[in-house]
Amino acid sequence: MFCYNCGCRLSEHDFCTACGAEVSLYKKVMHVSNMYYNEGLEKAGVRDLSGAVISLRQSLKFNKNNVRARNLLGLVYFEMGESVSALQEWVISKNIRPRKNIAGEYIEKVQANAGKLESINQTIRKYNRALALCQQGSTDLAVIQLKKVLSMNPRFVRAHQLLALLYMDKQDWERAERELHKCREIDRNNLQTLTYLREVEQMLMPDEGARQPSKRRKDESVRYQSDNEIIIQPLNVKEPKSGGVSSLLNIVIGLAIGLAAMYFLVVPAAESRVRNEEQQVITRISSESDAKTARIQELESQVTGMNESMTEIQAQLDSYVGVDGTLQNTEVLLQAIAAYMEAEDKAAAAATTAEELGSIGQRVNLEEMTEGFRRLYDAASGVILPEVAAAYLDEGNRLFNSKNYAEAAAAFERAVAYDADNEEAIYQMAQSYRFIGDTEKAVAAYDKVIELFPDSWRAERSQNYRTQLTGG
Amino acid sequence: MINFEEELKKFHPSLEVEDAEESIYHQDLTDLADMLIKKIVGAGQEIVRETPKE
Repeated sequence: MFCYNCGCRLSEHDFCTACGAEVSLYKKVMHVSNMYYNEGLEKAGVRDLSGAVISLRQSLKFNKNNVRARNLLGLVYFEMGESVSALQEWVISKNIRPRKNIAGEYIEKVQANAGKLESINQTIRKYNRALALCQQGSTDLAVIQLKKVLSMNPRFVRAHQLLALLYMDKQDWERAERELHKCREIDRNNLQTLTYLREVEQMLMPDEGARQPSKRRKDESVRYQSDNEIIIQPLNVKEPKSGGVSSLLNIVIGLAIGLAAMYFLVVPAAESRVRNEEQQVITRISSESDAKTARIQELESQVTGMNESMTEIQAQLDSYVGVDGTLQNTEVLLQAIAAYMEAEDKAAAAATTAEELGSIGQRVNLEEMTEGFRRLYDAASGVILPEVAAAYLDEGNRLFNSKNYAEAAAAFERAVAYDADNEEAIYQMAQSYRFIGDTEKAVAAYDKVIELFPDSWRAERSQNYRTQLTGG
Repeated sequence: MINFEEELKKFHPSLEVEDAEESIYHQDLTDLADMLIKKIVGAGQEIVRETPKE
């Protein structure tokens, strides 16, 4: 205890040993304040929160600076759901003693969570709104609001009490009792709660002498409480005897109804589900089939393309390695030239080689052959063919001189075939045709001589013979 | 028998957080100790009561 005047610690004397101030009454006031604080603490310990509030307020009336009492009062208010009142006390306490004061921690805990503070505010607003609704007569809405309040702050004693009062007004005694029991769990000796609870218990379990006898009936019920529920069991009620036939009939009817319900409700749904599943499967298979068909078509077009390529390649290959292929023709040419080169009788070999060269010239398109092939062929033709043509020309002249004009013409034809620019061979051929009477061929041959060799003496003679044959 | 209207009058609106500050300012914190000191020291003199130093 400290002196009110100088702040020094007081001794057992009735005066301050520092400043001399009279402190006997002051000390008594402080003692009373502490006594009320102790009382409040005891009551708070046994959950007599209302009683604790009264004691602690008394303590503060004697000594407003009793920080412990003020902090405890705030705590009790907070436990009763009166959060703002609690904050008030703690704020005042913090102002009285700023340092080393647990009120600071309490304030921080409440204010640290902004959502919590807002929730507290919402709770209070809803409670005030519910109270206003009660005063306006809208009790149903007030009940709804109070339920919301209590869901947010289950320890709000006044809200429980107001809700209990509303239930009592509606004569919903069981619910009222539940709310009041919740109040008692928080604040054991709240006078208002106890008063309401007595009223409710009287309505729920009336005494025999206090009630109207005319309402008593033979079939009265027994009420008893089990945990949080009220059980009402009627007496003298006999259960009807259950007949076997009727039970069986009931079972059969029940089964029939169940089967009918299943048939009309469950089976169509199941069928529909199965159909949907089947449809999904069909759709999936159809889409897969389409994809596969597209893939098949793509592959088929690739195969067609490859077949064409293969045909082309095969044709190219055949052109090289086939019977009339490049390789084969080249081999034939080489063989023919080699045979000519190796032969002792060049004249005889020349004829054979010339025939080979002739057949090669008919089979292949020299423009498509390689340059080497063309050069070899031209060289061979340049050497061998004139030699063969000369041999046939000699043969033809011999036959012509023997007046064997038909064979001579054939020989000259071969000579011309191997040497198309041989003037003598063409002229002699024309002469042979003339002698055998083939005027048309003779004229054609004479025309050739005139055309190819216009300045030669044979051309002049050819002109004369032509004129004779054609008559103009 | 409890009268609903009468009981309802015992219920008062709760203070909201915004009103707490004003409520604190308007609270009369005069206690018995203040009155006693005023009486002891005498009227007219300003009392400066020391707060506990613990």
